Amino acid sequence: ASAVNLRRFIGCAVREFTFLARKPGCRGLHITTDACWGRCETWEKPVLDPPYIESYQRVCTYNETRLVTVRLPNCSANVDPMYTYPVALRCDCGVCLTSTTECISSV
Amino acid sequence: GLSPGPGCHLYRFNVTIRSDQRGTCKGTHVVYACVGYCESSAFPSRYSVLVASNFTHNITSASQCCTISKDAKIKVRLDCPRGRHHDDMEILTAQACRCDMCRKSRY
Repeated sequence: ASAVNLRRFIGCAVREFTFLARKPGCRGLHITTDACWGRCETWEKPVLDPPYIESYQRVCTYNETRLVTVRLPNCSANVDPMYTYPVALRCDCGVCLTSTTECISSV
Repeated sequence: GLSPGPGCHLYRFNVTIRSDQRGTCKGTHVVYACVGYCESSAFPSRYSVLVASNFTHNITSASQCCTISKDAKIKVRLDCPRGRHHDDMEILTAQACRCDMCRKSRY
């Protein structure tokens, strides 16, 4: 039932996300945490003056985060076993800030 | 928002073109924009991204935006007060839309 809801969902919400925390010299650790997912309004419209197309692009991203640090298993003696990642407290449609965020295009 | 639901759709609107600020000659034409809600998500960055960004990009945003995938130029006739003439003006119109890369600047 929730899959059907997601197909029609508009907006930006906190959503559970599982990833593999890993770095060289340690074993990976599967972590389930809160991240962001959704659909934000974007548009492109023709205008008379250069660049002739005006665009409005907002993406679903973290608005407020908390940092969590975990210990990765089986690390080599010379490797810091601590791994820090952000947890989403609030998500919002906003511009992708290249200062804090790796902005990539999904296919 | 302007759009009915998820996806990226043609959106019809009128554009009025004036020859000068007083609007001595003017013409109105229907053109199309692309408006919609495409999927985007944000999640903790992989370790390789953390290292490459000197640990500043701890969030990765993977997004699509509603873009014009096909456009065309149309000529707009300007009507003037009697005896006057103004050349046709050109404006783009969207012919097809697609959720695609979020590119901030076009052309």
